[in-house]
Amino acid sequence: MTMSEADKKALRAQKRAEKARRKEEKYYLASQWQLMARKLGKHQLARISLVILGFLYFVALFGNFLAPYSLTEYDANSKDLPPTPVHFSHDGKFIGPFVYHAERQTVKMSVAEKSAAQKAAKERGEKYTPPTLIATDDTEPIPIKWFVHGSSYKFLGLIESDLHLFGVEKGKVFLFGADSMGRDLFSRIILGSQVSLTIPFAGTLISFVLGLVIGSISGYFGGWVDNVIQRVIEVLNSLPSLPLWMALSAAIPAGIPPVQMYLLITIILSLISWTGLARVVRGKFMSLKNEDYVMAAKLAGVSDMKIIMKHMVPGFMSYLIVNLTLGIPSMIIGETSMSFLGLGIQSPATSWGVLLKEAQDVTSIALHPWCLIPLFFVVLTVLAFNFLGDGMRDAADPYK
Amino acid sequence: MGNYILKRVLTFLPILLIMSLVIFFIIQLPPGDYLTSYVAGLKAEGQIVDESELASLKERYGLDQPWFMQYFKWMGNILTRFDFGYSFKYEAPVWSTIASVLPMTIVVSLVTMLFNYLVGIPIGIYSAVHQYSIGDYCFTLLGFIGMAVPNFLFAILLMYGTYIWTGTAFIGLYTSEVLVGLQQGTMQWWEVLGRGDFWGRMAIPIIVIGTSGTCGTLRSMRAQMLDELGRNYVLCARAKGVSEKRIVYKYCLRAALNPTVSGLSGVLSHIFNGSTISAIVMNLQLVGPMLYEALKAQDMYLAGTILLVMGFLIIIGTLLSDILLAWLDPRIRFSGRRAE
Amino acid sequence: MSEITEPIIRVNDLRVNIKMDEGTLTPVRGVSFEIRPGETLGLVGESGCGKSLTSKAILGINEKKCQSSGEIFFQGEDGKTIDLLKLNPRGKEIRAIRGKQISMIFQEPMVAFSPMYTIGNQINECTMLHITKDKKESKAITLEMMKKVGIANAEKRYDQYPHEFSGGMLQRALIAMALVCKPRLLIADEPTTALDVTIQAQILELMQQLQKEMQMAILFITHDLGTVAKMCDRVAVMYLGRIVETGTAREIYKAPQHPYTRGLMGSVHKIGSRKLDRLYSIEGTVPLALNLKPGCGFYERCDARVEGVCDQAEPDLIQLEGTHCAACVHCRKEGKAE
Repeated sequence: MTMSEADKKALRAQKRAEKARRKEEKYYLASQWQLMARKLGKHQLARISLVILGFLYFVALFGNFLAPYSLTEYDANSKDLPPTPVHFSHDGKFIGPFVYHAERQTVKMSVAEKSAAQKAAKERGEKYTPPTLIATDDTEPIPIKWFVHGSSYKFLGLIESDLHLFGVEKGKVFLFGADSMGRDLFSRIILGSQVSLTIPFAGTLISFVLGLVIGSISGYFGGWVDNVIQRVIEVLNSLPSLPLWMALSAAIPAGIPPVQMYLLITIILSLISWTGLARVVRGKFMSLKNEDYVMAAKLAGVSDMKIIMKHMVPGFMSYLIVNLTLGIPSMIIGETSMSFLGLGIQSPATSWGVLLKEAQDVTSIALHPWCLIPLFFVVLTVLAFNFLGDGMRDAADPYK
Repeated sequence: MGNYILKRVLTFLPILLIMSLVIFFIIQLPPGDYLTSYVAGLKAEGQIVDESELASLKERYGLDQPWFMQYFKWMGNILTRFDFGYSFKYEAPVWSTIASVLPMTIVVSLVTMLFNYLVGIPIGIYSAVHQYSIGDYCFTLLGFIGMAVPNFLFAILLMYGTYIWTGTAFIGLYTSEVLVGLQQGTMQWWEVLGRGDFWGRMAIPIIVIGTSGTCGTLRSMRAQMLDELGRNYVLCARAKGVSEKRIVYKYCLRAALNPTVSGLSGVLSHIFNGSTISAIVMNLQLVGPMLYEALKAQDMYLAGTILLVMGFLIIIGTLLSDILLAWLDPRIRFSGRRAE
Repeated sequence: MSEITEPIIRVNDLRVNIKMDEGTLTPVRGVSFEIRPGETLGLVGESGCGKSLTSKAILGINEKKCQSSGEIFFQGEDGKTIDLLKLNPRGKEIRAIRGKQISMIFQEPMVAFSPMYTIGNQINECTMLHITKDKKESKAITLEMMKKVGIANAEKRYDQYPHEFSGGMLQRALIAMALVCKPRLLIADEPTTALDVTIQAQILELMQQLQKEMQMAILFITHDLGTVAKMCDRVAVMYLGRIVETGTAREIYKAPQHPYTRGLMGSVHKIGSRKLDRLYSIEGTVPLALNLKPGCGFYERCDARVEGVCDQAEPDLIQLEGTHCAACVHCRKEGKAE
């Protein structure tokens, strides 16, 4: 069967028109969520933030594999080592990425020198610490290898494995330096992100449920129930959150297992942040109760529960999710602050706040500025959540 | 207006009572009490503890009673004798213990609040009036970053900065001379306010504590101002021949201040958050470190009182903002009057 | 030419452009008209045809992103004629004209007043700006005008806030605010749409009466042809940013020429018409003035369109009888034939 050129052309044009029409139709038939997603995609900063957050969560998920060392691995000779420089050519020859072995050594001193130094320290009222220096052995390059075997862990909490993305066979590689116990900061940041990035999520989830349930009870029943709940919310709002968090976490008994500690901290964080959400839900319930479409559904004989779940909740779900996203940054900062004070996550578990404990006094920052690296990740995450929330708020606004 | 204020004051009383109950409940949550941790400390040092003395101490402080009984006793003493209990750790009445740090905490909080509004509001207005200008972009970016950096990290960074630039570490609010004077009672806290070196030292804490709140004020002010600038009455005023400046300051600003003013208590609680942790990090002589120590030592009356004072101040802030709002916005004033 | 017949305002080829991400929007595309003292010109059209933008362009109070071009000659009190578009829209000269010589009544009185200040304060601001710096005198002028527009108990009303006023009273206050400086030109942008019918009639009568007293020119913007018949000497019908038909009210009502005008006339419910007559409605809505196709803007909706003619070029205004002009190919044919 043959077709003339003109026929083909006409057919193509028709197909194009059909496609355009479908696209347009899709736009008009798109659900609220699809529209939101489309608008969010147009928001430059929100899009970048989404990519960054996606990357951070990806790293946290595969943290055990990506981190060269485990939380408990330490090296007594590597205390406070600066970031290990990665070289590529040795003796003028390119041999791929490698590092030199470095370690902290005590400065050799005569007995007289040592006693003089001890005396001087005593006069200044300081505790004597023997001076150290970093010795680098630049004769022997240690190549960085991919997929090396190291400490074992459970991949995604399921599969036993000892494979790490990269590592060295001899000595250590500290991309971000080492802490005062000779542990790799890079690994600890990655493994710490597993706590720092999931606590706000779990906390948000809990406060979401709390806010939704308490808010709808308050809005649906009204009367004295509503009154009591509103007073409690007002009280919780009138108390500064951080001191309250501190008081609550002081109640966590020392020495409980890390998983329980994690859960308790999450609950404490969400115990205070549900109030805003409950207020919103209650307000929406009260205003939606009188909306015509709710009345219409009632007249049509739809049950209360179905009205709430099918007609009312979707009406303000987007609003809730935006609110939740905007609440995440303060939870991250809350967890970081508490761990930093030693009232939150405690070793052996770690989080970014715990890592920042090393940066507590000025002299240690001056001596080991790399201990501030976790700060960068905290700020990055908080900024990304802020921008994402901002973008979502704009996207959820039907009038924009 | 007078009736309106009275009504507001009356609604705050029950909130205060519920608040004290909530606080006391939280404070007594940790298992054990001050005596058990004290005894544990003594035993660790190998000292012998006299059981009968312990029992008498327990009875004296009412620690053997259920928590709500303890609460009623505590509340009763506060209401009847203005007695906030006894601080085990400092071995002194709670009120005289916090009296050494409370005034300065209030001073620092007020000055920070002033900083918050004096910086946040004008920049917010500027940003809105010059929307999408380079200045607006810069301030918006700064605002976001200011909100993203936790207070204590900001404190560390600033301290590190001053250490690098001046070579001396930042140490507390007072010079050693003032500190000694305050401790020995030869100097009163209000005398400190007259000293130039005190205000110089205050700059860093205020910037540290106030920045995140200021950025929040800036952003809400900008958004609200933009909202108001797009309203019809602006067009109408413009058509009357009113100048842009007058439109911004007479019409928009007053309306745009509304959420900023109603956020006053939020700002105050923000400041308490910031000052608590910053004071711990920077070793400032404020209530923050005292609360921290009290919580760690289970010094419940001291911790409870500090929380209660903070909550009380925030409630006063809410009250003030309600009154300010009624003054700013005639609609609120009228609805308040009508409700009676 | 005597001075009286010289127009107060002469708008010549006014265009308003709005730059957007998707391209340049041109909601006003070459509008020309003039108004003489004591005369009322009705600017008629559907929502979104560019009426309001035209009126705001005269005052220079459009948003920053709207750029106006063309000429707007205004004859001031001193007899000098100036091009308003040449003035800096934020400058002193135009501010001295706004409110004093040209003033505007907005469509929604509820949002035209700031809720934060008393009505008296906001009207008084006009007189303080333009007439006198003396507070007492200014208040006296304000109160007089408030009484004139029919606000009873003006002294008490002076100190009340907008939320204490009813819609009709607010509209009166808005008129008082527009007239308190005795402007030479009043722009009334749908001043009665937000009001119910009885109050509408009162307000219109009030405006006519005040116009007689002050000899002002009025640019009356509306989509309500009934009001136009009552108020206006001349009418200009606007569609998609252009004037498609203009003439005296009598001319246009008697023999509307443009299909759009005819459509508008057909949409008005007339008392006494037979019950079974269906109200005519024009299909579709005013398209967005973005990336317009060549040809008549009304082409898509027109029931008298001629394929191959109307979709080629946009017709210009053609003079018919007297001052009556219309922009339609059918008019051209008739003109040629006669």
